[in-house]
Amino acid sequence: MSLLRLEDVEKSYGNEEVLHGVGFEMDTQDVDVIVGPSGSGKSTLLRCVNRLTEIDGGSIFLDGEDIHSMDENDLRRRVGMVFQDFNLFAHRTAVGNVTLGLTEVLDLPSAEAHDRAMEYLDRVGLAEQADSYPAELSGGQKQRVGIARSLAMDPELILFDEPTSALDPELIGEVLGVMNDLADEGMTMLCVTHEMGFARSAATTLTFLDDGQIVERGPPEQLFDDPEQDRTREFLGDLTEIH
Amino acid sequence: MAGIVLQSSDWLFVASNADFLLLGTIVTVLLTITSLTLGFLAGFPMGAIEVYGPDSLRSVVGTVGVVFRGTPIVVLVVLLYFGLPIPQLGTVPALDIQVTPFLAATLALGLRSGAYQSQVFRGAIQSISEGQMEGARSIGMSKLQAIRHVIFPQAIRRSIPGFQNEFTIVLKDTSVAFAIGLAELLTRAENLYLQPGRGTAVMEVILTITAIYFVLTVATNRTLDRLHDRYAIPGGNE
Repeated sequence: MSLLRLEDVEKSYGNEEVLHGVGFEMDTQDVDVIVGPSGSGKSTLLRCVNRLTEIDGGSIFLDGEDIHSMDENDLRRRVGMVFQDFNLFAHRTAVGNVTLGLTEVLDLPSAEAHDRAMEYLDRVGLAEQADSYPAELSGGQKQRVGIARSLAMDPELILFDEPTSALDPELIGEVLGVMNDLADEGMTMLCVTHEMGFARSAATTLTFLDDGQIVERGPPEQLFDDPEQDRTREFLGDLTEIH
Repeated sequence: MAGIVLQSSDWLFVASNADFLLLGTIVTVLLTITSLTLGFLAGFPMGAIEVYGPDSLRSVVGTVGVVFRGTPIVVLVVLLYFGLPIPQLGTVPALDIQVTPFLAATLALGLRSGAYQSQVFRGAIQSISEGQMEGARSIGMSKLQAIRHVIFPQAIRRSIPGFQNEFTIVLKDTSVAFAIGLAELLTRAENLYLQPGRGTAVMEVILTITAIYFVLTVATNRTLDRLHDRYAIPGGNE
């Protein structure tokens, strides 16, 4: 059984239809990358998976269970998210950002939470910045804390919403490095990104979303090198030229 | 115009009643503390409800706020003192005050302050970016947990400047308890210059209590400034 299954997902904001009938499945350890022009509904799609946005039609299943019959907090404990703008807790240190969910959501004792948080900060290469506040960190460091915060909850799946789009170009590499490591370690990831290098090297499946619909979905080599749809070729061709 | 003439005999009169005014100062400070505490206990939840509460509760809180902000404080004090069935509770001998007017003044000043503090907190909460809530919800925290552990600690910090204002206003407004005879600083000042033959000391007495109010206000504002700096988020631009 697939870990995540979307069936005919629909979402509108007012009169504007953002998603019309999106469906796909992904398995444990898959790295699914979604690309598409801005306004195509990529971020909305991700947010529907952890119910930061509620869908208007269709269904989403996590491990066979309809996410709309689940408690939303339970769902989010199992599905982590990494944001474009990091959304780190501004009043807490790096390690404080990671421990909060451990003590409040997972009810770990604080010593244990601290040890676990340090372990994950170390994993993203930030053990030395543990006591720094978000405003004292670079964008790349902030995003790595964001990843550690999500990872420490031991989720079954992590959603990445344009994790490098707010970063200066020289800081993108460190975040992609962490994401590549995660992919290698078998973390299940659903990523919206414009990083075509990452898509080509790390993705098990690439999805091209345009105008709220899946235009094409398949192995990254196929979409990059031999796409079935002209729109896919145009979009990926343009992007590859830029990068 | 006799009162405007400052004379040393009147200053001596003030000096010889320093104890009497000190007690009044203590009552004023106590009344400020009880009122601000009540105001905080009422105002913070009200501010949170105005941002996060269900519509029905929001409109109730909004209306209560408008009523309390729209009533003159002297009217409110008199209204609560004579309008509420607070029993006569005797006196506090150490401070030489009656308990009942102290309670009435605390209620009036505290609820009015709560109505204003709710706006300070509402603004502070609304100034916290939506991403903070989303970050908290994304790791499985409930809305209440997010408010308590993520929004509240940041909003409190941001509300210190507004709270400073409110502190100053409440401290000075404790003087309206004069209208119901509570023996705070202004009432005691009046008790002094209304004594037979002391009519010439009005200015000296009033200038003295003005200085006391001023010192209290400035000292507390400085302390709150330090608190604000001390708890500022490192690297933040607050």
